[in-house]
Formats: sequence, structure tokens, C-alpha cells
Amino acid sequence: MAATPAVPALLAQNPVPAAAPGVGRAGGRGGAPTDPPKIPLADAGETSEGGRKFFTAGQFATLKKLGSILLPPLKGNIGAGDCDSAEFLDFLVGASPADRQLLYRNGLNGLEAQARRQFAKAFAELDAKQADAILKPLLTQVPWVYDLPKDPMKRFMYQVHADIRTATRNSPEAAAALANSGRRGAGGGGLYWNPIDPV
Amino acid sequence: MAKKEYDVLIVGSGHSGGMAANILTKQGLSCLMLNAGPEADYTRDRVNKAVHELPFRGFGKPGRLEHVYQANEYNANQWVDEKENPYTHDPAKPYNWVRVRLLGGRSLFWARQSFRLSDFEFKAAEIDGGGDSWPISLADLDPFYSRVEGIFRVSGRKEGWPQFPDGNFIESTYPPDSKTIQTVTDLCKQRKFGVSKMRSSAGQNGLASSINLLLPDAVATGRLDVVANAIVREITLDKDTGKASGAHFVDRHSKREMHVKAKVVVLAAGCLETTRLMLNSGIANSSGMLGHYLHDQIYGVSVVASVPEARDGKAPQGLMGGSAFLPRFRNLNKGEKRNFIKGYCAIIGSGGSAQPNHFAAYGEELQQKLDHYAGSCVAGSIYGERVPRFENHVRINRNVVDAWGIPALHIDVKDSDNELNMAKDSADTMEELFRTAGWEIISKTDKFYPPGYSIHEVGTARMGDNPKTSVLNKWCQSHDIKNLVVVDGASFVTCGWQNPTMTILALSMRASEHLVSEMKNGAV
Repeated sequence: MAATPAVPALLAQNPVPAAAPGVGRAGGRGGAPTDPPKIPLADAGETSEGGRKFFTAGQFATLKKLGSILLPPLKGNIGAGDCDSAEFLDFLVGASPADRQLLYRNGLNGLEAQARRQFAKAFAELDAKQADAILKPLLTQVPWVYDLPKDPMKRFMYQVHADIRTATRNSPEAAAALANSGRRGAGGGGLYWNPIDPV
Repeated sequence: MAKKEYDVLIVGSGHSGGMAANILTKQGLSCLMLNAGPEADYTRDRVNKAVHELPFRGFGKPGRLEHVYQANEYNANQWVDEKENPYTHDPAKPYNWVRVRLLGGRSLFWARQSFRLSDFEFKAAEIDGGGDSWPISLADLDPFYSRVEGIFRVSGRKEGWPQFPDGNFIESTYPPDSKTIQTVTDLCKQRKFGVSKMRSSAGQNGLASSINLLLPDAVATGRLDVVANAIVREITLDKDTGKASGAHFVDRHSKREMHVKAKVVVLAAGCLETTRLMLNSGIANSSGMLGHYLHDQIYGVSVVASVPEARDGKAPQGLMGGSAFLPRFRNLNKGEKRNFIKGYCAIIGSGGSAQPNHFAAYGEELQQKLDHYAGSCVAGSIYGERVPRFENHVRINRNVVDAWGIPALHIDVKDSDNELNMAKDSADTMEELFRTAGWEIISKTDKFYPPGYSIHEVGTARMGDNPKTSVLNKWCQSHDIKNLVVVDGASFVTCGWQNPTMTILALSMRASEHLVSEMKNGAV
């Protein structure tokens, strides 16, 4: 074929570069390192703040207020206000399927609307007694957590309460507080399965 | 062209496949085992993490593994990915299909509860008419159960009850019952409910799996080749004889199509994957029964009571703690008139605490309640037998394929009044027991999880003597294709309330030994 004879001539024009000083076989004296140093990594959560992306400013303020009411500091444990539980839930709900997003948005908007109607102020500005007047009627026992209340506000109340408790209990601040107290408690840790031979 | 022809191709590496490999290789047969997923390395693939270090702080990635209630953020990667491996169901008929494709399958993670089926299950048609009878009885399976129990080192207390057959147990000791458990036991005896202890596989070195109890011996024979990441797409038939001749499979990573030849094909991919494979292959269904009679157990129902003397942390030594296991006590006697057939077992535990969802409260009020009831609770739940029904079935959904182009299953299952009535009876029964004991009921529900949650799905290729009404014969061989054997839970006719693992293992052992003799006789 016409192209083939040109190949040896082309190859001859491209001499093999001489090895750089000190570079030999991999792993040999002066060779490229096979075991580079391990660089210690910092946790993003310890160095940075989570940005708010999903809730509006008003919804977020309602959520933060809710956290402080539903889970205040008790028995030496931190409360929802002592950690970034609201910020974390903003992230989590923002990453969730539409039904959860709608539950939260409607729920937070519903609380705000009720506060305005009943007390002519934002939910975030209610005192404890006023907040109880709105929240307590929404409470219900849930014997089976896969059968949530049909009423959307009661359903929201159950879910946001459960989520605030989990987000707080599992926060780095809660872990630090437990470690400092020397007590065993919720949160904790375990063996995490990495992706196994992922495609 | 396949490189060599094996005596037996085994599809799947869980308990049933592992048992088949163990028996067949020891009897001199060359076996190839294909497993859809990879082999896990417990050291490389797991790492200690605090919950706040997880990306979603323990909530789990939203929308991932929606059908797997057993999943959490720590174990999410051990389950089959539902987007790579989809299935469909009517949203009004939820089905939780819980899968593991790692080498060893679900045998890596099962809860170890180890029971035999009884003749109340094997002879269902004669007992209650809820389902057909098996073509075998407890007596047929007894010697195999005993051998399996020996391998798996099952602990248990012998009772001599027909609905709770005793087994070949290792020496088992139990601490004295707490006073609350003794109270439950006394009340149950008055009502003629038997109270026993849980039966469980101890296994070896903390594991009771195919990969540590069954496969090593098979590998040691030198007659077992295991290929991981091999997704079987179709069972092939010899066009002249109509017999199974091997399988086409797809490499999980490269998607390269491969073919293997074997004289016999043993399917052990788990009830629904096995049936999916047969449906996609268009084989073994002259009866029209393939895919039908899918069933499992109802799990759930919950009654929680509080023992007054144990509140506020004041439980005296010996009052709380321990558990009681009540094997089936309903519909054991002819003439017993109830609004449901079949039965359930109850598991009662003492010493737990109330949970936030038990109270309509928050803040300091909720914390006071949690403190008040902490450690004072006795709780009961059940496993109940679902009735197998023809209309509860699976079929292929040609509009949906998995990541390797293999058509997915559509699962169509609905509970009936029998399940609802059974659940209600169990909740009422436990409530009555706890109230009679003088305990305060904190929470009660007769709700239970969707079908499939138990991870005990069985049926869809049931065995029977009549080829017109069953897919397999009593040796788990296809009626239509004699060298096709199904050794997993697909062969079940009824499921009982019992964990099916011991029965699956015993059936696989029995079917494999019969297969060997059939092959030696030239019948297969």
C-alpha cells in the first residue's frame, strides 16, 4: 500500500527521547515513587458552611424557629438550634423527590399563614405559647411510621419533627458534644459499605 | 463458542446455589457457577464512619432504594441498585423486591432465623384449603433438614409440637426468663399458646452463608469454577432435543455477550430472578403456571406496652429483658372458626423503650415521656403466612429493561381480607395479653409492610405432581425440561410463617442428590 513504505522514514524522524536524569525503571533507584505520601484531608463540614438553596428566606426562618421549639437543648444534649439542622434539611429536601419537597413547602407556608391569621405576625416571631397554640393541634401519635396521617399539615408536622430530631442527633456538633461529655448516645457510627466493584 | 462443556451450570451463588454446588461437586460433577454481581471484600469494601461523616448524615440518598426498607446509608451499596435493575408494579399495589447480587447473595445478610415447615404447610389443601398441598411432606424433607441444620449449627429448644417441628439442634442454653417474659409465658399457657425460644443458625465465625459454609468445600474439590459479574440473559435449549444446553450471559462491566455450555442447568438465582430468567427464555411453562402464586409473609403489626414498675429507671433486677417466641397457635384444630385461615408467630421482647412517634408531643414534654418510659416496654410483632393465589403473579414488562438490556419483571400482588383479618387478630391478641398482665398500652397497630418486604418471596414456579398445574416435579425438575432444575424458593407451594431458608437449603440438597442419581442412570 502506498502509505506503508513511508512509515519507517517517519519513525526515523522521531528519535526516542533520552531518559531524564534519575528516571529509570519504575520502583528502581531514583525511579518514580510508587507510594506517594498521604495528604491529610479536612472535612468540608468543618471548614465551610452549607449554602441555602431550596427554601425561601421566609420558609427557612420558619424551619429554624420550628427546630428551636420541637427540639430545644435538653438533658445536656444540644438542640436543633445549636447545629446546622435547618441548613442540612434545606439541602436534604432540595435533593429529595417532589412529594417531600411539596410536603415541606406547603407545611412551612401553612404555618406561616396560620401565624399571620392568628397572631398577625410571622411564625418566626411567635413566642412559645403562641407557637404551641398552632403546633399542638397538629400533633398525632403515629403507631406505624409507614402509615402517616392523611391530613397534610399533620403529616408535615410528623415528618419535620422526625427529620429535625435525626438531623440534630446525627450532626457533627452533637457528636462533639457527646464526646466532650463522655456519655454514649445516639448518632454514633458503623461500618459503611463503599460501592462494590462499581460499573 | 463456549470453551468447555460443564456437567452443570448453576445460576446464582446464595444458599440454594451454594448447596447445589456443594453436593454436585462432591459427587464428581464439574460445575460452573455464574453470579450476577461481584465478590465483596469485607476489608477493602467497608470502612468505619461516624454518622455525621456520611454524605446524607444517615438519612440516605433521597430516592435511592425506595423499595428496600431494610436499607440505610451505611448498607446502601450492598443492595441491588434499583435504577440499574428496575422492576415495575402498579403504584396501588406496592411490592418490595429486595435483592443482593454480591457473591453469596442474600445469604450474606440474612437474619438467621431457622425453622422447618410443618405438615400444616406441606398439606395445606387438607388442612385449610388455602393453597394446594405440596407433593412432598415433612417426612420426605426431614433427613435433609437435619443435615442442613448440622451444617448451619442451628440452636433451638425442642418442644414436640407438630406446628413447630423440632430439628437437629446444637446444644443451646438460655438464661432464666425475666419476670415480664415469665408473665407472658404464663398467660400464653392459660390460653394454650405454646411459648418457645427463637431458633437461629450460628454458622461459623460469625457467618452462616453460602460463602463460608457451602462454597469452600465445593471449590476444594477442584470441580467448581465461579464467575462473578455474569448476568444470565437466557437459558438456551438444544434445538433438536429441546433440552437445556447452557446459557447466554452478559459481562456486568463490559456488556460483552458470552455463552456457556452445560449438560444440566440448575437455577438458583432467587425466586423472582429465576422465574424472570425462565420467562425471558420462553421455557418451562406448558402449564401456564410460571410466574403465578407469588407469596411471602406479612411482617409488621406492633403492640407496645409499658410495665409500671419499670418506669423512671426503677426496674428491679430481673424484671425486664429477654424475649419469648410464640410459634403459630391459630387454626391448629379442626373446627376452629376464625375469619382467616393459616397462622402467624409472635415475637415478644422486653426491656425496650418508647419512641417519639408513640407520643403526640415535642420538646420538653416529649423528653419527659421518653425518660418516663425508657426501658419499661414490652413489644410484640408478628410474621404471618400469606395465602398463595394464582392471580398474584409476575410477568415480563417488555417496555422496561435493565442496564444490560434484559427485560424487567412486572410484579402484580395484592393482599386480601385474610391477611388483614390475621393482622387484626394478632394485634388484638397481643393487646389482650399485655392488658391482662397489667401493662399500659402505649402503641398499637395492625398495619404491616407491603408484599415482598419479608425478603421471603416464594412461589412462581411451584412444584406439584400434575404438570398441568405446576412447573416443577417433586424433585424440583421442570416438568417440561428434565435437565432444568430450580433449587431456590420458586418451587414453594405454600410459605408458612417460617423463614424459608432451611427449607430452601433442604430442597436444594434433596434435588441435587436426586439429580446426581438421575445423571448416573442416564435419565437426565
